[in-house]
Amino acid sequence: MREEELRQLMVGGLAGDARAHAALLRAIAPMLQAFYRRRCAGHIDIEDLVQDTLIAIHERRTSYDGRRPFTPWLYAIARYKMIDLFRRRRQTCNVAELDDILAEEGFEDVVGARLDVNRLLATLPAKQAEAIRQTKLEGHSVADHAGAAGLGESDVKVSVHRGLKALAARLTGGADGH
Amino acid sequence: MDTEALIDQLVQNLQPAPPRAADRRIALGLLAGGLVTLALIVLTVGVNPALDQVIRHYTFWVKWAYALSLGVLALGLVRTLGRPDGRLHRSLWLFALPVVALAAIGVVEMAQVPPSHWRAMWLGQTWMVCPWLILALSTPLFIGLLWSFRRMAPTRLGLAGAAAGLASGALGAMLYCLHCPEMSAIFVLTWYTLGILMAAGIGALLGPRLLRW
Repeated sequence: MREEELRQLMVGGLAGDARAHAALLRAIAPMLQAFYRRRCAGHIDIEDLVQDTLIAIHERRTSYDGRRPFTPWLYAIARYKMIDLFRRRRQTCNVAELDDILAEEGFEDVVGARLDVNRLLATLPAKQAEAIRQTKLEGHSVADHAGAAGLGESDVKVSVHRGLKALAARLTGGADGH
Repeated sequence: MDTEALIDQLVQNLQPAPPRAADRRIALGLLAGGLVTLALIVLTVGVNPALDQVIRHYTFWVKWAYALSLGVLALGLVRTLGRPDGRLHRSLWLFALPVVALAAIGVVEMAQVPPSHWRAMWLGQTWMVCPWLILALSTPLFIGLLWSFRRMAPTRLGLAGAAAGLASGALGAMLYCLHCPEMSAIFVLTWYTLGILMAAGIGALLGPRLLRW
């Protein structure tokens, strides 16, 4: 739903219109689900977190200022509730299990991230992909890579810049598609 | 419980929020806290018996305006940080204005007396208790603001706590003027500011614990 529609519903809810308020909460529940699903790994009950956030939004709705955009307010609350959950998890995390969790989750995350990056880089022209891989992932300097590949330094910099820009465009474009 | 049922339950008996509901709640929290602070002043340290003469002297109003302006600026921060997407902005430099103005008055006052008086001007009679009294008197105001925060959505809890501490320290100092017998700007600049900063520091430490939601 569009920002303006959500804002109207929010303002209506604040004025006491229960139907607008219900419509707002129904509209943002799937937005929150998508937001959390994209950011939380397993072991987290997404539906529980969504409901927690809906309650927080309802209880603290007067912190919304009708002259300001609604969506940043919404996602700032969503982010806070997510971080708060992570923080609470860590506090109640059993130290004896910590090694297992680190071994399991950390490893999976790293491998998963690596796979994602490789898949993304494969979509770029070879020169850009190689420039990003060498300078951003392997930790070589621009000069090293320029020397090894027989390119000029500014050429490498431009390749990295263009490649990252293309990736960023793909990632933000891809997020809307979900 | 499924989300649909939860939403139905939440919107039952929905009350309209008054316009500027957040500001009203801050005002109400401060009013309640301020009344307790006033009562504490009257019942413990007492109102300055010479108050009717003291308020004719410009220093009383300098002290009062210094504390009030810091309090108003800090309340601006409380409002901002009470929103989940609230960010500190460039207006932070405004805090320097009352401090610089008071320091300037202090310098002028010092220039008018022989240097042998400076130490007495700076320490007054009450420098050892003044910051602590301000800190103690800020507590009810801080509790009032904690209550206000229960309908706000702060996401940077340390900063929000510091802003609440700063506001309650400054407004506590403003009420403390009713008791305070000191009459020099450099006294206020040092010991009032110290008490207000202690309140802000304690607020920053307590924020992450007390403002969590």
